[in-house]
Amino acid sequence: MNWTVNLLLMLFLLATAVVAITLKDLLAAVVVFSAYSLMMAMLWTQLRAPDLALTEAAVGAGVTTVLFIIVVYRTVRREDR
Amino acid sequence: MKRLLVLVALAVIGVTLLYGIGKMPPMDSRASPDKTHVVPRYLGHGEEEAGAKNIITGVILNYRGYDTMGEVSVIFSALCAVIAILDREKKGRSRSGVDASRVRTSLIVTTVVRFSLPVVMLFAVYTMLHGEPSPGGGFQGGAIVGASIILFTIVFGLAVSTKRIPPGARVPMESVNMLGFLSMGFIGLAFGVQFLTYILPGLGVAAAETVRKLMLDVIELGIGIGGGIIFISIVFSMIREDRYELQQDVP
Repeated sequence: MNWTVNLLLMLFLLATAVVAITLKDLLAAVVVFSAYSLMMAMLWTQLRAPDLALTEAAVGAGVTTVLFIIVVYRTVRREDR
Repeated sequence: MKRLLVLVALAVIGVTLLYGIGKMPPMDSRASPDKTHVVPRYLGHGEEEAGAKNIITGVILNYRGYDTMGEVSVIFSALCAVIAILDREKKGRSRSGVDASRVRTSLIVTTVVRFSLPVVMLFAVYTMLHGEPSPGGGFQGGAIVGASIILFTIVFGLAVSTKRIPPGARVPMESVNMLGFLSMGFIGLAFGVQFLTYILPGLGVAAAETVRKLMLDVIELGIGIGGGIIFISIVFSMIREDRYELQQDVP
């Protein structure tokens, strides 16, 4: 049971990582990266590192996502210019 | 020619690193130095040496205290860089996209934020104060405080939240993490023991226990409040748009 959950989490982690670097739309990439952070936080709890899981969930999925979105909001699409 | 040089340099570095790896004890082996020295020391003497029930807190605040001090100063200098480039928000003139938008925020979103914010804040304070005996700690709690205020800001707009938490209230609290950490560290020196020692000699057993708890709580609260306010200030100065900039957009 435990290893299937871990395997699913890792597969999803890998998928979100690949999607995040291949997406052309920056906002979508930021959202997928946030999902990556959430998966990573769950994996940290599986690895018995709850401190890191708390940090990853608050900083990785929360604060940096907002910072990235603010920065994306301030940029202009190359096609629109 | 250039590429060949790069290739040779990379090959030399790679071979050196691989040679070093070959000399290392195999992964998970019982003979590796961290298993023979570090882990027994931390697990066996962590509580009486570092002064925290949670070994991770002991490592973070005592064994690797200088590392934590460096991290605290790193986020402080990140704030300094952001303020130097982007400047703080201006009272009554700075707003964010939500304030300028003519579409009102959905009632569902505002209600959910209103109901969840106090709970999130309570959890953050719990995380900070229980960093010593259980997982969590100042930095995590501070990040949760920061995230909750940032959530409030992106839903209700910068004008509202800068009125609630004005720069005048934030500026003194931004350095609280470094000041708290350093002052608690120097208490150890004043008692004739090492920097960042929490179990002070020369006190009674009960008094030393109280002082240890107080010092750890001051450090955790300082790191938490300082870190949270630093996150908030960084986001405020990144999200702000001054009113005269916005008027150009409106025809």
